[in-house]
Amino acid sequence: MFTESWLSVGPSLDDCIKCNICSSYCPVAAVTDLFPGPKYVGPQAQRFRENGQPHSPDHSVDYCSGCRVCNEVCPTGVKIAELNARARAQIVADQGISLRNRLLGRNELLGKVGSIAPSLANFGLHNPVSRVLADKVMGIAKEAPLPHWSRNGTFGSWIKRTGDQRLRSDRKVVYYHGCATMYYEPFIGKAAVAVLEHNGFEVIVPPQNCCGLPMLSNGEFKAARNYHEGNIQKLTGYAREGLAIVGTSTSCTLTLKEEAPELLDMHSEEANTLKMAVWDIFEWLRELYQAGELRSDFHRIDMVLPYHAPCQYRAHRVGKPAMEILMLIPGIDLRESHARCCGIAGTYGYKVEKYQIGMDVGEELFGFVREQGDAVEMTACDSETCRWQLEHGTGLPSRHPIEILAAAYGLYDLEARALVGS
Amino acid sequence: MKHIETEILVIGGGATGTGVAWDAALRGFKTVLVEKRDLTHGTTGRYHGLLHSGGRYVVKDPQSARECIAENRILRRTHTHCLEETGGFFVVTPEDEGDFPDRFVAACAETGVPCNEITVAEALRREPLLNPRVSRVFEVPDGAADSFLATHATAQAARIAGAELFLYHEVVGLLVEGGEGECRVAGARVRDVANGEDVEIHAAMTISATGAWAGQLAKMAGIEVEIIPGKGTMVAMNHRLVNTVLNRCKMPADGDILVPIHTVSVIGTTDVRVTDPEHLRIEPWEVQFMLDEGDKLVPGLSKARVVRAWAGVRPLYQEGYTGASREATRQFTLLDHRERDGVAGLLTITGGKWTTFRLMAEKTVDKAVGHLGELKGCITANTPVPGVEQGFYWLGHRLHEVEAARLQGQLVCECELVTRSMLENAARNNPTVTLDDLRRDVRLGMGPCQGGFCTYRAVGILHEIGDQRSEIGAVDWNVAFLQSPAYNQDDEAGNRHLPLTIDNSPLAISSPNLLLRDFLQERWKGVTPILWGRQLKQERLDELIYLSLMNADHLPDDGGSSPLSEFYNFDTTPNENMDIPE
Amino acid sequence: MIDLLVIGEGLSGLMAAYHAARAGLSVRVIGKGLGALHWDAGTIDLLGYLPGAHDSLRCPMKQLGLLDPAHPYHLLGEATLAAALAQFVALTAELGLPYSPAVVAGENSLLSSPLGAARPVFLAPAAQQGGDLGSSAPMVVVGFKGLRDFYPALIAENLNKLGYPARAAFLPYQLLSGRRDANTVHLAHELDAPARRAKLAAALKKLLEPGERIGLPAILGIDDHPAALVHLEQIVQAPIFEIPTLPPSVPGIRLVKSLRQHLLQLGVRVEAGMEAIGFETNGGNNIQWVETETSARPLKHRAKSYLLATGGILGGGFDSDHTGRVWEVVFDLPLTIPQQRSHWFRPQFLEATGQPVFRGGVPVNRRFQPVRPSGEPVYANLWAAGGTLAGADPIRERSLTGIAVATGFAAAQQIATSHALT
Repeated sequence: MFTESWLSVGPSLDDCIKCNICSSYCPVAAVTDLFPGPKYVGPQAQRFRENGQPHSPDHSVDYCSGCRVCNEVCPTGVKIAELNARARAQIVADQGISLRNRLLGRNELLGKVGSIAPSLANFGLHNPVSRVLADKVMGIAKEAPLPHWSRNGTFGSWIKRTGDQRLRSDRKVVYYHGCATMYYEPFIGKAAVAVLEHNGFEVIVPPQNCCGLPMLSNGEFKAARNYHEGNIQKLTGYAREGLAIVGTSTSCTLTLKEEAPELLDMHSEEANTLKMAVWDIFEWLRELYQAGELRSDFHRIDMVLPYHAPCQYRAHRVGKPAMEILMLIPGIDLRESHARCCGIAGTYGYKVEKYQIGMDVGEELFGFVREQGDAVEMTACDSETCRWQLEHGTGLPSRHPIEILAAAYGLYDLEARALVGS
Repeated sequence: MKHIETEILVIGGGATGTGVAWDAALRGFKTVLVEKRDLTHGTTGRYHGLLHSGGRYVVKDPQSARECIAENRILRRTHTHCLEETGGFFVVTPEDEGDFPDRFVAACAETGVPCNEITVAEALRREPLLNPRVSRVFEVPDGAADSFLATHATAQAARIAGAELFLYHEVVGLLVEGGEGECRVAGARVRDVANGEDVEIHAAMTISATGAWAGQLAKMAGIEVEIIPGKGTMVAMNHRLVNTVLNRCKMPADGDILVPIHTVSVIGTTDVRVTDPEHLRIEPWEVQFMLDEGDKLVPGLSKARVVRAWAGVRPLYQEGYTGASREATRQFTLLDHRERDGVAGLLTITGGKWTTFRLMAEKTVDKAVGHLGELKGCITANTPVPGVEQGFYWLGHRLHEVEAARLQGQLVCECELVTRSMLENAARNNPTVTLDDLRRDVRLGMGPCQGGFCTYRAVGILHEIGDQRSEIGAVDWNVAFLQSPAYNQDDEAGNRHLPLTIDNSPLAISSPNLLLRDFLQERWKGVTPILWGRQLKQERLDELIYLSLMNADHLPDDGGSSPLSEFYNFDTTPNENMDIPE
Repeated sequence: MIDLLVIGEGLSGLMAAYHAARAGLSVRVIGKGLGALHWDAGTIDLLGYLPGAHDSLRCPMKQLGLLDPAHPYHLLGEATLAAALAQFVALTAELGLPYSPAVVAGENSLLSSPLGAARPVFLAPAAQQGGDLGSSAPMVVVGFKGLRDFYPALIAENLNKLGYPARAAFLPYQLLSGRRDANTVHLAHELDAPARRAKLAAALKKLLEPGERIGLPAILGIDDHPAALVHLEQIVQAPIFEIPTLPPSVPGIRLVKSLRQHLLQLGVRVEAGMEAIGFETNGGNNIQWVETETSARPLKHRAKSYLLATGGILGGGFDSDHTGRVWEVVFDLPLTIPQQRSHWFRPQFLEATGQPVFRGGVPVNRRFQPVRPSGEPVYANLWAAGGTLAGADPIRERSLTGIAVATGFAAAQQIATSHALT
């Protein structure tokens, strides 16, 4: 447990002044006694944990969803969510990981396998019988909003197919799509490419692999390290050239920037070069806008749009850049959610013992969407699993802000989730 | 005035005194122990918690080393639950040059202290924060000891064996009979400091186990005993930086040991000869020196949060010695005042160290036996005190128990995981004059917030249970489980499963405001020497709570002071003295 | 570029943002974490005690002349102070969380502390006003068996000793919550539910004796607090008042929530979890931007003016080390705190004069601009407010919230004036 990474986070337990602000704002502790709160399982319990104890003293830390509300509200800067992530990793190291968590951690593998025969895979995963089985045998909640494999090919196959149609330009940007865009939602990637090209950038989509976050959040640090090393090899060259690497998945970009290097002690020069080149796509577009370089040839879109910034933005600590850009689009009546978390928290809400907690946490958000009235036709959120949870909790479709922006440029059909003219 | 007749009167409720009472009672003596404050008020309650392997003394004091390793093995059997098997390293830092390491290895072999050299890589794997520039590492069977719990357990064992213990009973005079040549101590007159009543205790043999106060006590019989009071200052870091005792492999000196004990790690100590064993200043240079030295064991230690500092006094004794206390012997001394001073009926046991308390008790009672006639021999080495069935202490046990029994909502002291029931049971079964007594019992207020949240809660709870005390029957309370949240929990119906008893002194619940003020001041005294950075921020939050929110400085005055108010009021705020004395 | 960047999201920062926005400035607030309102009683304490004096002040406005000449109240002047307080009263009325002065205008009222001591309070939220110790109506202080943050018997006993008629009563904890582990904030959320309140009210009615008023821990709702209070009083048919509890402070959280919601309506964003770590000047004495820490590179915040409202040692505005150094963490401004530990403390924790280390701060001129010892402003576009200011020990003299409200107002006024001039 006491690795180098401990040194970057462990001492932050010393910052805690026991004030319980975090416990008062934690969305999980607000709905269940199973989670004693961030201060309790974080800086407080940490003083009772040590290397090589006869057995892990506590397991309730596993109920931390990692939403990081605690980090955000903490007045003294305790890295509570990171302390908890490490404690979870310790439990995994002590006891081994369940098949369920191993599977939920293998987003990329699942994506690849399912994409071979997506219809079959979708049927295999989503029919009621297999869901009950998955629930009982593996502990994946039968109601949980699992994704569907794309039936129109992966994002990778699209990029390959349309390679000669791509814009060439001196201004280049690298796109990190992540697993969800690759296998489940290729249209997000298409919208991103369209927006970037519309602004005059040549988009490079290099080989890349899973960021490793699902494994990190399930405490499988060793496997996550392999993934991050892969990405360092594949992407750092572009960073060296001074290119920005932008991503549409807020969790993937966060992992590349901070989670992986911090939690896995990967602080090499290469890792740091990569970290400094990675941007959330809207964080990067906001810079473009502030420099007066973002095109503003928007079509009017008349709609009431509830927007929920995913928890990962909290971890990026860059504010809500997607909202700042969406607000530029004429016609959009943007309603900002102040709900703390949608409840899915990566793969947290998939787990049978946590599904209901996730839904109870999400109620703050679902209720907010309902309060916006019947005129609401869709919601917007940057993170894929959050969108799936939002759709599950509200019954309304949910879109990535990049889809909205692409639509505002007249490049994208929000209903069909496809590029215009494709 | 009350009179008590006994065979053996033990004065002093530290490790040694309770050990003597335990041993004497086990041998069949009618035994009474008096302690002027709470158990472990003196040096026992103010040390760093090291269970010596003897490694520290192999070169300098081989006899002490032999005693330590022998007692270390015995205490693991008799006081298992009071000990943690941390193991210890003797490390050679770049500052520790010379041939000492080789002499150390040879001396370990000579004295029988197990010592095993391990690779630096292995040491760093086990203790990643250890200075990576150490050149050699030796592993020895050091450990950590909870001297509060151990003394409680020994005291309880003594009670079970028939001894009577009177806490908050201060000796105001010795009963000296006869005169020149025929002089004899026949007991002591003691004062119940909580209610002011005097008691006369007549004893065939009076044993002074008063540690640094032994000189003052002997003076009551007209005897000169010159204790060398060596003040040792210790600094506790907010969490465990290491889980193994770290010693520098060199001649024992200041700031060369880091002991993981409960949730903290303690860096110690200095050794300064002082005059007053009660009121001890902690000089800024001592704190600074400790942090600087700590950095050599764990680089960056001085930047970590310090939670508290305190000082204790080694009751060293060396006949005719006048030098520095650091150089005085660590061996214990048993003075038979009949032989030494022609005053019968009085023994003084002093010196030594916590690890050898049982041996000191054994030798003392052996001597008493010699004076009182033949009785059976010492059996303490083979008699476990209550609670050993819990096995060795491990750091996570409270967290584990609180989680397993889902007691999170019951926590009064959140830092140290003290539940309401633990607090109530400790208060009902011990004389509670100040919250500091409960602190020693259950670790109330010993965590990062230093009483910020739990002082208020503890006062409120004691006040609420105050009027229930009279309804409680007198049954044995299992002192062994003082530290266990699970053992102390309520049943489904909210009832205690523990039988409750009342000790012989009054609980101070009639003065809740005094309890509050005393404890706030007690905590303040221990933090001011180390107050900066994060702990200063914490203290400001504690101020906000007790001033802005509670208005605690404008409570009605419900009794001016407790027997300890003056002790807590002693000024330990930093002065300008940063110079290390020659 | 915005007009004003407020650094710090405690009461002084929020108040300054409010007044600046009202004056027409574009404002953003950033903060590392939440502030001291979460710990305090939720009252506005103008001035309770003069340094070293034991008796509380009855008419604090008339005693300002006895304060240190460098005290923030001196810099404000009586008229500005009165205006700030009047504006606060008007604002909270508008927010539906009305604060009002004592029965006798300009005087402190005395309200029971959680220990039963008499707190001198200048403005109290509606729920606490009923506990005015100036009224002779007997009190029944009601607690809940097992609630660890409220001790009615202790409160009643001390109130009695001070000459205020009070008795204690207990109700079962289960009336508040079915949870085993709930803090005061969770309990307040439970009492947002009318059904839960009705049950509580019925139990209160049973234990009430004629002529009594009821004191309860400050947990009577959060989101629905004003209605909760009315609801309870209607059923019980007796005055009900709240007594603050150990942190987290429900009354403080109510105020923060209302203020933040109102700021959003005024177009002021409050970004939590953003720690200011650096700044840049134009080479002279103008701040160009302030940087906050993110998951990768620092984020720049550009504004015409900057307000430092990071608090003192507790708020995190100042840090210190074992050498006795104390520094202001964002701009390294000059401080009046002695740089020697031997000058920081007095022997008694409850010393009436206070601890010297807590009295110093950032010296400012009458325009609330941090100044060098020469009296020159350190930066032309920097102001300061609240707990950062020199000349007061706000916790000791019970002026923490009073100084925040008044200096937040005054600094915003000064900033608005300077913008009008340029």
